[in-house]
Amino acid sequence: MAMRQTPLTCSGHTRPVVDLAFSGITPYGYFLISACKDGKPMLRQGDTGDWIGTFLGHKGAVWGATLNKDATKAATAAADFTAKVWDAVSGDELMTLAHKHIVKTVDFTQDSNCLLTGGQDKLLRIYDLNKPEADPKEISGHTSGIKKALWCSEDKQILSADDKTVRLWDHATMTEVKSLNFNMSVSSMEYIPEGEILVITYGRSIAFHSAVSLDPIKSFEAPATINSASLHPEKEFLVAGGEDFKLYKYDYNSGEELESYKGHFGPIHCVRFSPDGELYASGSEDGTLRLWQTVVGKTYGLWKCVLPEEDSGELAKPKISFPETAEEELEEIASENSDSIYSSTPEVKA
Amino acid sequence: MQTPLTTTVPVLRLPRGPDGLSRGFAPDGRRALLKPVVPEIPESQESRESQEQRARAALRERYLRSLLAMVGRQVSFTLHEGVHVTAHFGATDLDVANFYVSQLQTPIGVQAEALLRCSDIISYTFKP
Repeated sequence: MAMRQTPLTCSGHTRPVVDLAFSGITPYGYFLISACKDGKPMLRQGDTGDWIGTFLGHKGAVWGATLNKDATKAATAAADFTAKVWDAVSGDELMTLAHKHIVKTVDFTQDSNCLLTGGQDKLLRIYDLNKPEADPKEISGHTSGIKKALWCSEDKQILSADDKTVRLWDHATMTEVKSLNFNMSVSSMEYIPEGEILVITYGRSIAFHSAVSLDPIKSFEAPATINSASLHPEKEFLVAGGEDFKLYKYDYNSGEELESYKGHFGPIHCVRFSPDGELYASGSEDGTLRLWQTVVGKTYGLWKCVLPEEDSGELAKPKISFPETAEEELEEIASENSDSIYSSTPEVKA
Repeated sequence: MQTPLTTTVPVLRLPRGPDGLSRGFAPDGRRALLKPVVPEIPESQESRESQEQRARAALRERYLRSLLAMVGRQVSFTLHEGVHVTAHFGATDLDVANFYVSQLQTPIGVQAEALLRCSDIISYTFKP
């Protein structure tokens, strides 16, 4: 019996959600950070969407947000001309990195020692987080505002996208290695370390390139302008969303459109698969984040598959190994904020 | 009794949202034991910090007093896209996120009571 997808809506933001990122898988599960034009990025438990905390401090729209691999640090890029580094456990602000224009993108290295930033001043900056007072290293070359900058090839190279180009830089020499030109605006870029794949979206196209050589691998056309796409960790599927408010799911190997989902009330700005590939999150102009199951009907996180003979009532366990495996510990993780005073069930826009 | 051809996947509950009262990050949460390494703050900066704190407090106090002075007065707001409106200032909320105004003169008429979102306001001016 086919089941229909039940997306989980995460409310809390009051303006469009423009960026989102997952952490790696940690002993406490995985986490999700969302960047919002209301200036208040939020941290959520990745598999349930439960709110953990809000990073307070930016004085303008937050355009980019990221978590380090073990979700102990967060970084945000904002319209107040700063990038900030946060303690993702306590929510405290650790560093404010002043820039000369709107900052759009931030990315940690694997060891969390360096932070890459990029923005409207067209410069890539590399900050040594162990020496926050030191000046960052700067890489110039872009001729329009940088939209996305990512570390790749084990942090030995940098990928950056502006309006019409994607460039590959060598970290050690700080020079450009290669570039790709597009005649349409590049809307998003995602880097998959396993397999060194780069996912680029522009217009209605979702293109896959080698992150090492920038050579094209394949590309698909969607029915509408796409703003963001994400490739499943096992490279079986990809999901994409854009201006028609819908989310599309494709078979990566055949390019066949498998599903499309309505649900958001505005254009989708960002889509990302979770690190275990069991769900994907979408952020929209409508101010919400939605979580979608990769395999519809599977018991995972808050989704519970009910079979005729099965007992109901148990909290579902995601495929993550925890230090202790007792049921009570899992309950604790799911309800990290159980001490706070909650108002009644969050408002859900049907 | 006929079963439907498709049913939606059941969920245990909806994701929890912000509590509206705190910024979260439960201090006694499971992850509270984790603390990333933070660079040490040298001694000389500590006094600079308290100086900064005092300056911030003074500026904040001045701003709050300016808001008090505005109550009941005609204020001109400059909003996005070159829009200008005037209104009588009533009050602000705790986070100064919204201004409660009355007699809001908008390009499409006068609004008796209104709530102006501060994030929409670029600047405002009034004569005390």
